[in-house]
Amino acid sequence: MVRGKIAAHALALVATVLLGGLLSATLVRLAPGFEADVQELDPHLNAASVTALREARRQDHNILQFYLSYMNRAAHGDLGTSLALGQPVRTLLLDRAPLTLRLLATGLALAWVLSLTLALSAAWLRLSIYDTLTTVVSGTFLCIPAAVLALLSVLWNVPGSSAIALIVFPHTYRYARNLLVKAYSQPHVITARAKGLAEPRILFWHVVPVVAPQLLAVAGVSVSMAVGAAIPVEALCGLAGIGQLAWQAALARDLPLLVNITILVTLVTLLANSGADVIGHMVRGQES
Amino acid sequence: MTRHEKRVGEMASAWGKAIAVTVICLVSLLKPAAAQGGGELRFCLRTEPKTFDPLKVEDDASAAVRYLTGGVLVRVNRQTQELEPELAQSWKTSKDGRQITFRLRSGILFSDGTNFSASDVAYTMQLLMDPALHSPTGDAFRSGAGNVETKVISPTQISITFSAPVAGLDRLFDQVAILSERSPKKEMAVLGPFMVADYKPGASLLLNRNPNYWKTDEQGRKLPYLDSIRLDIQPNRDVEMLRFKRGELDLINSLDSEYFDKLSATSPQQVHDAGPSLDSEQLWFNEVAKSPIPGYKKNWFRSANFRQAISEAINREDLSRIVFHGHAQPALGPFSPANKFWFNSKLRPQAYSPDAALKALQAEGFRMKNGALKDKDGNEVVFSIITNAGSKIRERMAVLIQDDLQKIGVHVNVVTLDFPSLIERMTQSYDYEAILLGLTNVDLDPNGEMNVWLSSSENHQWNPQQKAPETSWEAEIDRLMRAQASSSDAKKRKEAFDRVQEIAVEQEPFIFLINKNALSAVSKTVHGAAPVILWPQAFWNAERLTVATK
Repeated sequence: MVRGKIAAHALALVATVLLGGLLSATLVRLAPGFEADVQELDPHLNAASVTALREARRQDHNILQFYLSYMNRAAHGDLGTSLALGQPVRTLLLDRAPLTLRLLATGLALAWVLSLTLALSAAWLRLSIYDTLTTVVSGTFLCIPAAVLALLSVLWNVPGSSAIALIVFPHTYRYARNLLVKAYSQPHVITARAKGLAEPRILFWHVVPVVAPQLLAVAGVSVSMAVGAAIPVEALCGLAGIGQLAWQAALARDLPLLVNITILVTLVTLLANSGADVIGHMVRGQES
Repeated sequence: MTRHEKRVGEMASAWGKAIAVTVICLVSLLKPAAAQGGGELRFCLRTEPKTFDPLKVEDDASAAVRYLTGGVLVRVNRQTQELEPELAQSWKTSKDGRQITFRLRSGILFSDGTNFSASDVAYTMQLLMDPALHSPTGDAFRSGAGNVETKVISPTQISITFSAPVAGLDRLFDQVAILSERSPKKEMAVLGPFMVADYKPGASLLLNRNPNYWKTDEQGRKLPYLDSIRLDIQPNRDVEMLRFKRGELDLINSLDSEYFDKLSATSPQQVHDAGPSLDSEQLWFNEVAKSPIPGYKKNWFRSANFRQAISEAINREDLSRIVFHGHAQPALGPFSPANKFWFNSKLRPQAYSPDAALKALQAEGFRMKNGALKDKDGNEVVFSIITNAGSKIRERMAVLIQDDLQKIGVHVNVVTLDFPSLIERMTQSYDYEAILLGLTNVDLDPNGEMNVWLSSSENHQWNPQQKAPETSWEAEIDRLMRAQASSSDAKKRKEAFDRVQEIAVEQEPFIFLINKNALSAVSKTVHGAAPVILWPQAFWNAERLTVATK
């Protein structure tokens, strides 16, 4: 059963990734300015050099041809060369991946610690004032654009991961709070409380098993939220990660780089969601 | 005075002398230490350097790295604008402007310890002039078809012969960083004051002092004084400014007037306005015959009287005062007065006169009806000015121009596009009416703008790639530009280019608006800084800068 689920997820993942890459390539190719290079404006360049620059851009004119050739090269480990930075895409991604991974891991960890702490305390305390207060706080952060939070982190000289945490936290808090409040109002939890069971025991024996599959699903979604937030955060905070690279690639219509980043982001998002789904399925399987 | 008192007096005097001598010695010891200072200079590159190969440099970040690490035969002194010897002790250009012979310094080593000789210069020039390289530095030397010939006369003497005369030949070598023919480190073996020590892609670049750098100061002390330069790659100017204020950066090059004023309010001793730079901001109309814009608009744009009237209706003083906070001067023509030799001093500022502009347009058949200007066929004079999105300065300039032109009944729409889209319209689809952009001018010599002024060129922006000049004045400019390029007589070249400037001002294919001032910020901890108008303004003398330890 689980194997079948994993196989279905793997198939959907490969298909989505390939389709995502092709869509990204098509969008970049159709974007205005794709065949233009800022370098053309250098008055030192003679006609032959300007023509050479344009020819280099026109190599990727036929998008299907580009994509097929890209996949062929990617199968052999060659992800192409960035048009804007002139470096192999593989090197660029490998150089910048550690920073983005650290940023995402720290940001997500902070977001979840904050969400679960507030959600648990809201479920435990059952004070309407506290509940309103936490809802207002999370609602406020939900309304603030990611770019503003990134700029505030620069202004206050705090790590970019805190901006990621504050972008993700309102979403995860709302889900976690609703799930926990609902779980704590279940008859078996009320009975356990009436019998005088300790709160940690109630939490880990009676609440967590009920909410775990849904929370895992939210965890998967929170990864894609964090990946999306990493682009403005890295670009505005001047962090040399994959998010900043994606921003630069979009501005420069850097087709090879953008296709690879799209595929990577799609892959990470789908893996996180599929992983959460499979684990949730396993948890539910154990329960039943 | 008793004998004892006299002795005490002598002793006091002796002690006084000893203390004075000690103080003088300490001061003299401390003085060179302060001068040698060392330390690390930190500033930002706004983009990632695309290459460390000095021959392939095409972007500002790579050019900055080349300036700091590359050894050149001759260098344009950014302060005096004069050419000075560097790796070449002396040089001689042939009368026909095709050949240059350099006598090189001996005993110089690359950063990795390999010897420098004439064969390295020959190797560099052969690589640079490879037609497949398509480098802006190499293309600047290419005035005709054919290859470059290099002849190593001795280890310290070389002659380089080009297939056609190259005007201003010696000054072009300011951009040519010499590579080692034999070093296994290739372009990472350098002759400049600093060398690349560490590179974290997208984050920072560390340049360390080149231990083999050949130059010394007037007291015989080895240059550079700095131990290292840390270049953080930071595209966001707000972040750059914030980090400077926090003391995390030591200088900001090419500061915007808005940031300049903000910094000036809090620390006026840290900002520098070196005066008008070579950079200009200009507006031009689409005069391309095959462009997809209505024919009647092409007729307006191709009329010199129309362009002159538009130019006359723009208040350049306001642009300078409001947009640049006074840190800019109304442009007089193609070259800024900052270009001491080549600027045509006979040019006068364009008078601002909406009334005169309207009269000139009426003489052309335009009529004002209900506050709107209409041409003789009844078409309302409406056009769009495109500029690049994200440039607050240009957006504000466009809005002011819009307001100025409204006074003569001309309705302007301001459109901002991201740079690739704008360039595509400008160079490929020609789907635009007017463009507001700037020209960053690094060259002092007009030959650097050859591809802007020749009517057949790709960069003749208002009407590029003409098979034959479409107007008599463009034919005249072509003739003058070619004449100055083929002459080695500086006076004749100046006369020819003076005339080019006059024609450009008369015909206004580019409506020159503003010459921005060269603004920079330098921390109090940096000693020896003397920002200038020529690029790289604040760190042109990096080898003589010191940073006090915090």
